[in-house]
Amino acid sequence: MGNVPTKETRSRSNTDSSSVSDFITSGGAVSIQNTIAASSRSSQRRNTTSFNGHQRSASSELRRMKRQQEKDNALEKHYHQLIVKFNEHVDGGYLAPFGTYKSNLDYNCDVVRRLIIEGKLSPFFTPLQDFDESWTDEELYIILKQLPLHALEPGFNDEEEEDDVDDHKIHKSSNFYKRQEEKSKLKALIARVKEAQKVEEQRYLESKATSTDMSSRDLLLRLYRQPRECPICFLYYPSHLNVSKCCLQPICTECFVQIKRLDPHPPHEEQANANPNEPPLPHTLISEPASCPYCASPNFGVTYVPPKDLCTGIGGIKPSQYKQYTGNGDITDEEDEKVSRTNKKTPPAMVRRKSATPELITIDMIRPDWETKLLSARNKLARKAATASAIHASNLIISDSTESASGVTDDTRRRRGSGETGRRRGNTAGSASNSNLRSIEDRMIEEALRLSIIDEEIRKKKAEEEEAKK
Amino acid sequence: MAALPKRIIKETERLVSDPVPGITAIPSEDNLRYFEVTIDGPNHSPYADGVFNLELYLPDDYPMCAPKVRFLTKIYHPNIDKLGRICLDVLKDNWSPALQIRTILLSIQALLGAPNPDDPLANDVADDWKKDEKRAIEIAKEWTLKYATKKD
Ligand SMILES: [Zn+2]
Ligand SMILES: [Zn+2]
Repeated sequence: MGNVPTKETRSRSNTDSSSVSDFITSGGAVSIQNTIAASSRSSQRRNTTSFNGHQRSASSELRRMKRQQEKDNALEKHYHQLIVKFNEHVDGGYLAPFGTYKSNLDYNCDVVRRLIIEGKLSPFFTPLQDFDESWTDEELYIILKQLPLHALEPGFNDEEEEDDVDDHKIHKSSNFYKRQEEKSKLKALIARVKEAQKVEEQRYLESKATSTDMSSRDLLLRLYRQPRECPICFLYYPSHLNVSKCCLQPICTECFVQIKRLDPHPPHEEQANANPNEPPLPHTLISEPASCPYCASPNFGVTYVPPKDLCTGIGGIKPSQYKQYTGNGDITDEEDEKVSRTNKKTPPAMVRRKSATPELITIDMIRPDWETKLLSARNKLARKAATASAIHASNLIISDSTESASGVTDDTRRRRGSGETGRRRGNTAGSASNSNLRSIEDRMIEEALRLSIIDEEIRKKKAEEEEAKK
Repeated sequence: MAALPKRIIKETERLVSDPVPGITAIPSEDNLRYFEVTIDGPNHSPYADGVFNLELYLPDDYPMCAPKVRFLTKIYHPNIDKLGRICLDVLKDNWSPALQIRTILLSIQALLGAPNPDDPLANDVADDWKKDEKRAIEIAKEWTLKYATKKD
């Protein structure tokens, strides 16, 4: 709702749509006239007095909308990639998690799916909740055939349900409404995805008897006859799990994608606790790579060696065609050749590489956005700090704030423009250098400080005027 | 309420089938994520012969985040505050999903045997401890006798 453009911005995008992207790439300046109409709406929403300087430019409004759209699309795609699809099969496993965990699913799906297809990370196998060695092949097969694609429990929590900072405030900021809007959007998205998983489950059930995408009896028994318990989720998986680089302990992919850096935090929690009145300095916030859950070695990573006798699903033969189960997992060379001969329909681009030396997969590789998150946490803290110091500063500012305010604001708009292009450059580069990040961060903090001081000046001025009227 | 993850079910079963000496953990009937815990004070510590009641809760994110554990019995210890909160690294940043309820309770028992006033949670107790360790140990013993004796 807050994203609805005003007439001016709308007409601009209608008549000359290419200019939108021009603005985005160049971060170009738009004449001041445009900005006044465009921003009056957002100023009102913010419950602050509208005045000349304190307004968004049309170009920044457009950039913001486009950014929002990109964000929405990315989220939509992300959640849809968490749906387990029975025809997205690799060696008897899938490209999406079974649903053992309902949160922390913010890993990069594109990266993980690619790693699974390339045989560098174990597929997401359907876990067995229990296992008993005394089960006969037939008993085991019956259990395996009945496994659902996804946990019967509905998939995802409404993640990141943090308490909103504005929940207890009487006058909510415009950001509060934006956050509320995003929350309800996310809820709706999750509902859609859950529904899509149900549909997929139904399709799976209906095609069980006929589809060539179903794992053959041999494949299922090959995978689950001698399963291994993952030491973290206590569920049973095919024995060729990922193993930790440092101490060679097994870990299923579903647990692996859960391991991530701690949220950005001050270096010593104890100190922060000891002095709750002094918030940590923004630039001191840190986030270290996760340690190995088993031996606490720093910078956790795993390797995976896909079994040679398996090549079914994407880039391989149909899972229904797998007929190699010999009862003890031993495969002869002759049978190996048979596999490659049946392997005809493979599209060349999708052929899996089964490299001789497995690649180390670290937790930062599957969450490459950790740096951006750290930065935004620092920035958030800086804004908080800036507000606090602005309130302090406003007690020192006396009268004639009008001139100084507008003066500052002109400057602010220019800075905001450059700040945003800077940030975008940081994002698209993916791994912007530290010095680049720092300078962007500095600018953001500066900007936050300025905006807060201006807001506070306006508030004071208004209060004084009210006082004078009486 | 959501179904209990297999891991919690198996941990609970194993706590019963293979109990840790000096430690009990019994899940509550109405909430299987909530455990009533007792820890015996370690021998040769000011807490010897005491039985301490604690509560343990497994949050939704468990085992990706640590269980929440708190002493219910009053205890005089530099790393345990008035509210029973425990200062222990494995309950915070050093939590690992490979740790379990039993390993955490063992760590807490070990903390009773080795108070660490240099990393305090209860600052006043830690100060006493550093100023006059003998006296502090006496108080800890008194509190153990007063608040943590077994009710037969
Ligand atoms: Zn696991
Ligand atoms: Zn390790």
